[in-house]
Amino acid sequence: MTNEKPVEFSKEEWLLHLENLHIQRGDMNRLIMDYLVTEGFKEAAQKFKLESGIQPSVELDTLDERIKIRDAIQHGRIQEAIAMVNKLHPELLDTDHLLHFHLQQQHLIELIRLKNVEEALEFAQSHLAERGELDSDILHELERTLALLAFEDPENSPFGELLHPSQRQKVASELNASILETENRDSSPNLSNVLKLLLWAQNELDNKKIKYPKMTDFANGAIDAPSK
Amino acid sequence: MHMEVESNQCYINQLFSQDQVLSFEALVQLKNSVIGSNKQKSNVIIMGIVPRLMQLLLDGHTSVELLTEAAVVLGSLAKGSTVHIACLIDSDVPPVMIKGLAHPNQQFVEACLRCLRSVLMSPIAPVTLIYQDETVIPHLIHLLPRSFTTQETIANILAHCCRTMEHQMTLCSNGAIQALAPLLQTNNYKVQMPALKCCTAMCYQNPHVSLLVAEASFDGRYVSDSIVSLLSRDKPLEMQIAAAKCLTYMCRAGSVSPKEPCVVYKALPCLVCMCKKDKDPTTRIEGAETLAYLTEGDAELQRTAAASDHLISMLAEYLKYSHYRNTADVKKLEENERIRKDMVYAAFLAYASISANDEDIRKKIIETEGLMDTLVTCLANGSMKVCLASVRCLHSLSRSVQQLRTSFQDHSVWKPLMKLLYNSPEDILTAASSTLCNLLLEFSPSKEPIMESGAVEMLCSLTRRDNPALRLNGIWALMNMAFQAEQKVKSSILVALGTDQLFRLLADPDVNVLMKTLGLLRNLLTTKSVGHIDFIMGVHGKQIMQAIILILEGDHSPEVKEQALCILANVADGDAAKEFIMSNEDVLKKITSYMVHSNVKLQIAATFCISNLIWNEKEGAYERQLRLKELGVQKLLQQLLGTSDPVLFDKVKKALQQFS
Repeated sequence: MTNEKPVEFSKEEWLLHLENLHIQRGDMNRLIMDYLVTEGFKEAAQKFKLESGIQPSVELDTLDERIKIRDAIQHGRIQEAIAMVNKLHPELLDTDHLLHFHLQQQHLIELIRLKNVEEALEFAQSHLAERGELDSDILHELERTLALLAFEDPENSPFGELLHPSQRQKVASELNASILETENRDSSPNLSNVLKLLLWAQNELDNKKIKYPKMTDFANGAIDAPSK
Repeated sequence: MHMEVESNQCYINQLFSQDQVLSFEALVQLKNSVIGSNKQKSNVIIMGIVPRLMQLLLDGHTSVELLTEAAVVLGSLAKGSTVHIACLIDSDVPPVMIKGLAHPNQQFVEACLRCLRSVLMSPIAPVTLIYQDETVIPHLIHLLPRSFTTQETIANILAHCCRTMEHQMTLCSNGAIQALAPLLQTNNYKVQMPALKCCTAMCYQNPHVSLLVAEASFDGRYVSDSIVSLLSRDKPLEMQIAAAKCLTYMCRAGSVSPKEPCVVYKALPCLVCMCKKDKDPTTRIEGAETLAYLTEGDAELQRTAAASDHLISMLAEYLKYSHYRNTADVKKLEENERIRKDMVYAAFLAYASISANDEDIRKKIIETEGLMDTLVTCLANGSMKVCLASVRCLHSLSRSVQQLRTSFQDHSVWKPLMKLLYNSPEDILTAASSTLCNLLLEFSPSKEPIMESGAVEMLCSLTRRDNPALRLNGIWALMNMAFQAEQKVKSSILVALGTDQLFRLLADPDVNVLMKTLGLLRNLLTTKSVGHIDFIMGVHGKQIMQAIILILEGDHSPEVKEQALCILANVADGDAAKEFIMSNEDVLKKITSYMVHSNVKLQIAATFCISNLIWNEKEGAYERQLRLKELGVQKLLQQLLGTSDPVLFDKVKKALQQFS
């Protein structure tokens, strides 16, 4: 390695370089289709298929089950989602114990949300205590969830995030990924892998203390000028 | 808890309904209750669900939906604890699941397969079940390709139930290899792994099956190539190690040469990598054990392994491994102990294999800090498993002259080793007695104390064992003991062994035992001073001559006869002892006939014998020479001068020079 000064790019130069790179439109479309299929956006996938001509990797009807399941969770109907998963893949929840706990925990959260205290306690005792006994991390989670009951206004308590819709989303995604994995499909969309690769590359550059125009806002794809 | 039990009880009651629709609804609820909860599984079993489900499964009128749901629930119970599985086995569920495989409905068949697979993968699996009815295996193989579920479940079933050579042959003759080959190439980890494990189980110590696996191909690709590709570093660790293990078994069974690049440059380095400190203990243990097995008996592979990547120091880390640090938890400490034992076992096995043939490797290993201490401790206090591995390791190390003189002496290895010779199981006994043989070699400082602690009797008793390896070690150790030993030692050996036993050993079906017995005789009659020979012949001469004649007259290989002739040559080296030969016309005639034998080694031995008899510095030489001339010996010798063999020529010349 020669003792050269590392090349430094200004934001403009960087953007110019980027512009000269060509990504095939077909590749972009495939990434999008893959995302839609993996996440279960059936109608969007169907429309996109018509508009772009890209063939999805699976029959779109096979998405129906996953869509229904995600839907149930997103509306707080956890027991219903569990029953559907058990019908589709009876071994899944017997194998992925953490997922099963998260689903049970979500049901508990729903009961707490409805202020159904007695049923919530009974449910925690009969269904969740057994897991908590075996694993201290799970016990900790359980305690956090039950702590919600101690607050008048649980949504504004230190554990309030559990009542947030994003919690339902989290569980729905976890279940979706597990179903895909059981079916031997990629459980995360290629698009997220691409983003992870970008994150990793930027991290490597940061570790080597190299200055470069960094993408800090992924949602908008905004690139900042290199820091001084 | 109360509510759940109550509602489950309700559903169980409903399950007994004659109305199949009601039963089905109840069963679905019960299913959702038990999936994911071991507690509920226990509850419903107590409430009697299993017999009821069995009833439904065996009833010809049950609807296919209900049948399937029943199988699914049993499958969930089978995913519970070992206690749950035991319940299923006791209730005869597995045979009923097997019966279910004949049903036309794919969903039902798959539910049965999943249940069966979970039961047969448990530690209490009734592995012989699938072999009891000879239509089962062909049917399983027939079902195998149908779906991802059938592939995964059946491959797992076959992999876990393949335990004996008979099983291997049965699977093989039913086309298992051809059925598994495509599975190795699917891009599906859950299918590839059990397929790989099944191939591995089938190849274990089975040259016939291994060869078939090596030669099998699918879609233009050899199975062995598929296996090699599963070794690559981008595959999960478990898959790499499973593939390496498969190649190892194939190599040891002879269907893949140890010189093949896939072994030397792929499997071996993979296994070495598995021993690295950053891997979890299970991986490291399996890596070291498999490496030990792979390199056992092949000096090249041993050298390659030892030279890899600091293997020796990596294995040394195993000896100090502590999984949970800084803990006072009793359970964790017990776990620590258990894991450490397995790590030590694996490390010693690996050391034993790689140090079997190379002095430099042995040196490096012995220099490992704390190794000898650990070895000696394990000899005395280890579990059977660890003890065996320690002895094997010691055995390999004891092949080093230098080590015998230094480390082995410093640590008084012989003491715990001797203790092991009493009351040990055969495998430990075999390894310990082999090691002892080495410790009894002439230059070993341990020789004296061993002999003084009653080794002779113990070794003689070994020569009486059924196991030929033990007899061999016993007699070999005695042979080493007798080499250049004191008069009293030689006598004590002969007395302890007894001439009866000696004769028995000379008629031993194992030719190695025979050779070493002759070797013992030879050593007993080798001289520090001629007085030994005369003394021993004086007491046991008659029997010894009988033994030698027995060998010379018997149907034995030239090697054996050569030994016998060498013993005669030693007898001929004595003073008074010479008479034993000279007075025996039969023996003399035999010696002369061997002088003109087609095998030059026998000629040399016979000539050497003659040479000793006629040695003209000895008293009575003239008379003996006369006698032998009468028998035409001098003439024979002169004939032999024409030989092309330089050693023989030399001996003949020397002999002729003796004739005055």
